[in-house]
Formats: sequence, structure tokens, C-alpha cells
Amino acid sequence: MGDRLLVTPPPHVKSAKTVQGIMLDVVIALCPAAIAGIVLFGFRAALIILASVVSAVASEAIYQRAVKKQVTINDFSAVITGLLLALTLPPNVPVWIPVIGAAFAIVVVKQLFGGLGNNFLNPALAARAFLLAAWPLHMTQDWVNPMSYDAATSATPLAGFNATGQTALTFKEMLLGQRLGSIGETCILALLLGGIYLLARDVIDYRTPLGYLGTLAVGTWIFGKPGELFQGNPLSAIFLGGAFIGAFFMATDYVTSPVTPRGRLYMGIGCGLITLVIRLWGGYPEGVTYAILFMNLVTPLIDKYVVPRYYGSGHDKMARKGGGR
Amino acid sequence: MNEKRASLGYDFIKGFIKENPTFALAVGMCPTLAVTTSLVNGFWMGIAVIFVLTFSNVFVSLLRKVIPDEIRVPIFIILIATPVVIVELVMKAYMPAMYNILGIFVPLIVVNCIILHRAESFAHKNPILNSVMDALGSGMAFTLNLMVIGAIREFLGTGQLAIGSLVFPKAPLFEPAVVMLTPPGGFITLGVLMALLNIVVARAGKRKQTESPRG
Amino acid sequence: MITIIKKMIGGVPVPDKKELSEKAPVEFAGIPDELVLFMSHHIGAPAVPLVKPKDTVKRGQLIAEPQGLVSAALHAPTSGVVKAIEPRFHPVLACMSEAIVIEPDGKHEPVEGLAPKASDLDSLSAEQIRAIAREAGIVGLGGACFPTSAKITPPEDKHLDTYLLNGSECEPYLTADHRVMLEEAEKVIFGFKALMKASGVSRGIVCIEDNKPDAIEAMKQAMSGYDGLELAVLTTRYPRGGEKQLTQAVLGREVPPPPGLPYDVGVLVSNVGTAYALAEAILTGLPLVERVVTVTGEGVAKPSNFKALIGTPVSYLIEKAGGFAGTPGKVIMGGPMMGCALKSLDVPVLKGTTGILVLTKEQAVQEPILPCIKCGKCIDACPLGLQPLWISAYAERGFIEEAESFRAMDCMECGCCAYICPAKRPLVQLIKMAKAEISSRRKARR
Repeated sequence: MGDRLLVTPPPHVKSAKTVQGIMLDVVIALCPAAIAGIVLFGFRAALIILASVVSAVASEAIYQRAVKKQVTINDFSAVITGLLLALTLPPNVPVWIPVIGAAFAIVVVKQLFGGLGNNFLNPALAARAFLLAAWPLHMTQDWVNPMSYDAATSATPLAGFNATGQTALTFKEMLLGQRLGSIGETCILALLLGGIYLLARDVIDYRTPLGYLGTLAVGTWIFGKPGELFQGNPLSAIFLGGAFIGAFFMATDYVTSPVTPRGRLYMGIGCGLITLVIRLWGGYPEGVTYAILFMNLVTPLIDKYVVPRYYGSGHDKMARKGGGR
Repeated sequence: MNEKRASLGYDFIKGFIKENPTFALAVGMCPTLAVTTSLVNGFWMGIAVIFVLTFSNVFVSLLRKVIPDEIRVPIFIILIATPVVIVELVMKAYMPAMYNILGIFVPLIVVNCIILHRAESFAHKNPILNSVMDALGSGMAFTLNLMVIGAIREFLGTGQLAIGSLVFPKAPLFEPAVVMLTPPGGFITLGVLMALLNIVVARAGKRKQTESPRG
Repeated sequence: MITIIKKMIGGVPVPDKKELSEKAPVEFAGIPDELVLFMSHHIGAPAVPLVKPKDTVKRGQLIAEPQGLVSAALHAPTSGVVKAIEPRFHPVLACMSEAIVIEPDGKHEPVEGLAPKASDLDSLSAEQIRAIAREAGIVGLGGACFPTSAKITPPEDKHLDTYLLNGSECEPYLTADHRVMLEEAEKVIFGFKALMKASGVSRGIVCIEDNKPDAIEAMKQAMSGYDGLELAVLTTRYPRGGEKQLTQAVLGREVPPPPGLPYDVGVLVSNVGTAYALAEAILTGLPLVERVVTVTGEGVAKPSNFKALIGTPVSYLIEKAGGFAGTPGKVIMGGPMMGCALKSLDVPVLKGTTGILVLTKEQAVQEPILPCIKCGKCIDACPLGLQPLWISAYAERGFIEEAESFRAMDCMECGCCAYICPAKRPLVQLIKMAKAEISSRRKARR
């Protein structure tokens, strides 16, 4: 027998799950939202998505080539960053906005901190926050009327909703996304489809979106109407604005969210609470971006203190109390 | 045997790369981030620091043999506060517009780490001429840093560069990024410049090492 | 009484691949040209040889005696001549280790005086059963090889109330225990009762995973004649059969962290193979000289279950199983999750060898290792509630104390974390590294 045998440490069988597969699942799950965005907001939306994805992948390749690291664009993580960023942009922004944003996300937020697995902020959201601070006018006014594809200048429904505590949209309009908003955030149905796919494929933990949307809905129901308790509209709170895309696709980002199941629940609840506070009592009409970014920063702390119960810990606890067998 | 004293030229030049206050020692961060929204602001802040630094270094160096070790820091602070008051009053009198922009950061030079750092680590131990060169070197490097950061932030944040009445016009098609004028923009610029300087220094060090293996 | 148990902390659903060999009856593998018997087969002190080169030995003859309480005797598996006593490569310890090499004469002659010790348990005292287990060199056959006589002689201050017979065989591919339960159910139960009697425990629970319905049926039949026996049927999930996992799932008791053992919570756990070996020793007088070994995997032509003499070369068993199917990529002693890969087939079957697994070239690929993406799947999979990602990250960077504070020493190296890891990180290896470093530091401190 001339062939050499492979000798590696156990285990000798591995699950079929790979990083690439997981990332591809996320890309697939984002497709319905992207398609819905293109249908709702037209060719412009497609252009922005394309620009963002190409810029993200190109930045990753160029940076890794420049610093002589292995080029890892085939793991799809840059594609996700580009896609997510594009879906959170208003449909009418100039094309250079997603290009700069995606490059910032990849180079500054992800690669400068060590690349995949080492960034402490969600790259797409950090880039969105950067764009929001850099070009606030584009980021808050370049809306497009759904289906008619003409530019709109009115405020987004969420901004109006905050002032009056009510919304003029019907349930069906909210579900299908026929409202002003970012490319990928409006069509709840498409987002839900993607979210369910991710849950079914065991990519994300249900606790984060549940904690997020639950906290936001209950909180809005209690405090949503100024001056009155328990009169808010919980449905429009989670259907309008970016809470849905945030809860399923941003707050669940592995690298920047806690690693334990309980920690992920706290992540969701924390995001929900901060979003609620910013929306109801803060200066911004929308708080999803900053809520998730803030919780990204808290993640190491959650990981430190929210740890799983280890096997046999009851004995240690008893020993510490001085009792026990 | 007396330790060979470094040359005056070296004391001047070391402030630019090896002991660059902003990028190598990371001292004086407060004005570096706060007032560098434009090239001109950075320049005047730097000038104020050069004046205070030279003044304090001279007097600390002169008095280094009489200052008791135990209470040297309070004495340094007094020696630093004096020129700061001079700078503040002069600015208020002759360039009130700039004084309004720099505001609180002028009196805050008193507690600027650069000044105390140079006093404690250099002027306190070295003769007067070396101390002057050290102050000029560090101060000019600091001024240069503020001007570079200021220029980058001003250009990216407003789309133009103004030096007195000379204004480089806004580039066509360029939309300024407001974030560069805010503190995050300051941090990003600082970080990127610091990284670039580190790369340059590391490359130079490597080249030197390959030339003389004793390193 | 039958209980069905579904709960489990962590674990991973591994395709069990038992279908390859579960229908193959146990056959005698035959006598190879050479048998290699290590002095260190078990946990504890090595045995001391009683024979010299050129001595003739008979089947069942004592050739090495135990040294101390936690040690096991060794017997000649067949008749023949002692060829040498020399260091040979030990596949599990991965180093050269003293061994007795026997050249069989093919006659398979039993030693004189090999006779049944008793025909029923009533005529034996607990003391006598322990003595038989010790004389027969019986060790735990699940893989750890803890000397059985030591296990059933627990310290006086421990109150024992339950004995678990571990027939779960949760490692994928392996079917040795399955076949033993199916074919020798009566003897297994007899051996189990003997273990219970020797350790003074009155409650016995037979634990079997639900992917072996025929074995469950056979064992149920065999148990019907005895009192104090219960059957627990567990859902199939790796690592169901770890003794800590079994204790927790069946009795709801958690074993204290290492160095805690099940007897700290009044429980003993033994493998079905061990019970069978003890029954053989009592009913026929034959010491532990052979065991059932599964030879399986996509890389062998005819997956089989063999009754193999201890010391039989792996290459001989693979030959008996029809040889390789295609090009072998990896040969593993033990199961795929915890077994060790062999670099040469010129190593013998040990007392703790549950199976020989041959993977094909296509299966034995080394996937590239990616950075940790902190998906947390290893935490969900860990049956001990550890956080493998942090322990391994600290171990990788040499932060041994931090690894220890994340309870690296609790790890039982079941491999769930490395199995599930999408970045294919060598988590178990890194944790093992940390454990070795922690132990050596602890030793140095003492």
C-alpha cells in the first residue's frame, strides 16, 4: 500500500456547515428584500445595490492584495455587507454614496480591525452611520415614491408617525412595502420570507429578532401615544422604519452579537429598548442603526457576563455555600 | 566619563518622526481633535503651542538645578501657565476672531500633555540650548500635524481650503462629507495618518536593518 | 419498567452510519501470525510481564500481573511462543511502549484449569466477583479501559445506589455493543447483575439509544427474569453515551466537575462489553483475551463485526473484512468522533478498541481553517456547557490561565464543537493543548 494515510486529530467527521455556506444562506435570504426593493423603487434601486456590492467586494480584494493577505472574497461576507448597506439606503441617493459607504465598511470597519471575525461593529451599519453623518441631506431626503418611481420629498412615514402617533397606511400597504423608505426595509413580507429561511436553515437564533421586535412592539404599545399609556400602535412600530431588517439581518450578525443563546436574547431586548428610546424621546426619527451599533459595543460585555451554565455547576455552588454532600 | 550629549540638530529633528507628539507619543490629543476643523485653526493653535513650549522649556531648563524634585510638577505648571496667559491676552487683543474659534482650548494649553511631557522628560534634564531646540522641534512638528489634519478635514468636510484670503475653490462634483468636521472625522483622520506614519517608519526601519545586520 | 428519555444538554446530530455493519453477525476473526500485547492497556500502572522470550504459553494463561489496585492482568489470547518482549508503537499513547509479542502455533490450546467459576450468581459473594474481575484482567471496554475491579470497589464513604449499563453506543459507525446485546443478551444481563452484586447496588438501568430497536427487544427479553432492572431508551444524539451525559439524562444528577466521577453522585456506569466479559469470566472461566471489534466504514469492502483476539494487527482485521474498497484515506482506531487516526496499520487491537474505521480518500479531506466568526454553535453543541470558542482562542494565543478560567479542564474532548464548527477550527486539539499545559503547570506548582 503505497498511499499515505491522513493523520489528523479527532473528530474525523465534520458537519456539512461551512462559513461560505452560511454566508450564502444570508445572501439568499436577502434576495427577496432586494427584489422587492427593485420592484418598488425601480431601476435606481438595482443600480445602488449593484454599486454597493461591487464596491464592497472590490474593496476587500484590493485591500487584501495591498497588505499581502489572502484574498477571501469567495466567502461571500463582503457581498452581504454590500447588499445590507444598499438595502438601508434611500433609493434616490447618488451612486457614489453606496460606493464610498461599502468601501468604508470593508476597509475601515472590517479589515482594519483584522478582517472577518474581528470587527467589533456591524460593517454595513457602521458605514450607514458614517454616510448619515457625512451626507445627511442625501441620507434623509432622497426618497422615491413606490411603484411610480418619481422622487419624493416628503418625510418618511415613521417621521410623520412620530408626530401624530398614527399612520395613514393600511395594513396591506405596510406589508407589501408601498411606502417611502430605504430600498430593502419597506417590504415586510419579503423580509419575513428571508428571516424564516434563515431560521429554518438554523443560521440565526430566533431569540434576537423576537426580543427586538417584541420589546419594540410592547414598548410602543405602552408609550407610543404621547400623554396616554397603552394606546400606541405596536404593528406600525415594527412594520415602519428599519426595525424588521435590523432585527433579522443586522442584530443577528454573528461577529458582532453575543455568542450564547441568552446573550442573544439580551441583544434583541437591548436593541428594542434603545430603538424605542431614540424613536419616542430622541432627536432622530429612526433609531435602529444606532441601537444596533450601540449593542454591538456592549456585546463583549454581554459575552463576559452571560455565560452558559456549565455541567456540574450545582456542586460548585453548594460547595461555595458550605453545604452539600 | 560623560555620556555623549546628542547634537542640537538631533534634538530638533527627533520631534518630527521618532518623538512626534501626535503620531508617535499620542500626547496633546485634546486640541488635535478639537480645533483641527480647518488648516488655519490648526496653524494658530500650533503657533500658540510653539510659543508656550519654548517659553516653558527655557525656564524649566534654566531652573532645573534649583527645582526640588518633590514639588517639580506644580512648579512646571506655574512656568507653563505664565506664557499661556500671555498668549491668551495677546490673541484676545489682536485676533479676537481666531480667539473665539479656538476658545477654551487656548487656556487649556496649560494642561496640554506635550508641554508637561517635554518639561518633565527633556528640559528638566538638559541644558538650555538643547531644550530650546527640543521645544522648537516638538512645537513645529505639532503645528505641522495640526495643519495636515486640519487641511484634510477642511477639504473633505467643506470641499475647499482657505488660507487667509486665499481660498482654493470647491472642486466640481465633489460633495463635502460633513462628518469630517465632527469629532468622529477627527478620530478617523488621526487614525489613518498614524497608521501611515507607522508604515513609513516600519519600512524605513526594515531597510536600515537589512543594511546593517547589527540593527 | 421502560422510560423514554429525550432531554440532553448540547450534543450534535451526527449521521450514525450504523447500517453498514449492524446486520453483520459477530464472527471469530481467526488467529493472526503475531499478537502484540501492551503492558499499558488501561488507565493506571502498567502490568509486569511474567514470561520470558521463548516461553510457550497457552490460551488464557496469565502472562503479566497487575501492579497495584488500579491496574489489570494480561493473559495470552491463544497458544504459542513468546517471540519477544520489546517496545512497540502504541497507537493511542502514540509512543513506543513495552509489549509481549506472541507467535501463535495455531492450536488454540486452552491453559489447564480453565473452568467455569460458577453457574449462577447466588453461589458467589461480592468479594469473589471482584476477585474474578481482577484475575481476568477485565477493564472498561467502552474505550477508557478503567480496571473494572477497581471501579466496583469504590471508597467506603461513597454511597452508591444505581448502576447504569451503557449500551447507547453513540459513536457513529460502531456496532460492536449493538451486536453483543443482540446476540448475547442473556450473558450481558448476567454480567450486569454480577457487577451490581459486586458493587452492592440494587437498582440497575440498561440504557440503549433508540436506533437499535432489535437490541432493545433482545435486552428486554433477557431482563424479564430479573428484579431491580429497568430499561431506559434514549433518543439518538452524540454524545449520548458519555457517562456524565448518561447520568444526567437518566437520573437527573450531574456529576461534579473533574476530578468528579459518577460515583460521587452514587452512580456507576459500565459498558455492555464489560458486562459481557465479566459474564464470560464467571461462566466459562476465560479471562479477557478477546473482544468484539467493528471493522467498518465506506473504505472497507465488507463491513463486519469480529470477535478478535487482543493483540491482533489492524491490517489482519481489515484483510478479514474483505480488504479496502478503493483507496483508503484514513484509518481510525475507535469511532469517528473520538478515535485516533493511525499512520500505520501495523498496530494491534487493544482491550479498549471498539472498532476500526476506514474512510475513503474522498472522505478524508482536510478543509482549510478559517477565522472564528463567533457563531456560537460550539456553545450550543457542548454537552458540558463550556465555551469552546474562547478556550481555543486563548489556547491559540498562549493565554493558558484564561483558558483555565473558562473551565478548559472540564472538557471531555467529545468533539461536538469541532464537528459543528463552520470555520472547521481544530477546537478539540487547541483545548487539549491548553489542558496539557494546565496540568503540567499544576504539577510544577506542587
